[in-house]
Amino acid sequence: MHETQFAYRVRQHLNQGARVDARVAARLRAAREQALAHHRAEPMAGLALASNAIARIGGARGLSLRVLLPLVVLAVAFATTYVWQQTQRAAEVEELDAQLLSSDLPLDAYLDQGFAAWLKRRASQQP
Amino acid sequence: MAEAARLAAALAAALLLFAAAPAGAAPEPDRRWQQLNAEQQAILAPLEAEWDRLEPVQRVKWIGVAKRYPKMTPAGQSRVQANMKKWAKLTPEQRKQARENYRRISKVPPEKRGDLKQQWDEYQALPPRERQKPAPKRKPATTAQ
Repeated sequence: MHETQFAYRVRQHLNQGARVDARVAARLRAAREQALAHHRAEPMAGLALASNAIARIGGARGLSLRVLLPLVVLAVAFATTYVWQQTQRAAEVEELDAQLLSSDLPLDAYLDQGFAAWLKRRASQQP
Repeated sequence: MAEAARLAAALAAALLLFAAAPAGAAPEPDRRWQQLNAEQQAILAPLEAEWDRLEPVQRVKWIGVAKRYPKMTPAGQSRVQANMKKWAKLTPEQRKQARENYRRISKVPPEKRGDLKQQWDEYQALPPRERQKPAPKRKPATTAQ
């Protein structure tokens, strides 16, 4: 029998009300309670062992991969962007220092508090 | 597991993308004085005494400057040599200020700033109080007659 058809038949029977004797009903109840207890215990254990979460990858593989991988990608992206920015900044400073140190003005001119402003004022007065 | 494979592929792609970006501008590694090659030692000779006490960032920067050195004009090279020691002794704030001033001066169009050396001499000849005031005009502002 096809699986959906079987499920349909089971549902019909259940809708009509399962007529089982007391012994079977007791066994069903026991099994249900056992299943419920098991179901409840697992997430709590998971919480208690939060620090051990990575060790549970095997148990909840799909969920862990779905959550952990994007986090890892994000962390790697952030770290790489940071390193890249630092590298860029260092390269800029390097180029600037090379130009500054080889320029025909003495260092004192660049260290002077007023020269750059004076030069700018003077240039702005040029036609 | 198809999803896991997709995520793994995305991770690999992201890693490749980010790893490839800085590869072009990879900085030179930090070296102690004895680890520098003969050419680097010759260029950076003014810094020999304090080299091993410099911050790693500073050393990496100087190694980078040494790499650019052969492409400079002979006059530029000797100015680098002359300025190196003094520059290394400045405080980080002074260096920052000098870089900022260099940027500001570079932004002034060359045709307007004239010969920088001459301007500097002129500026130095001014009495300290005059340096803060607006510079004297070279030509009268009223050119339209």
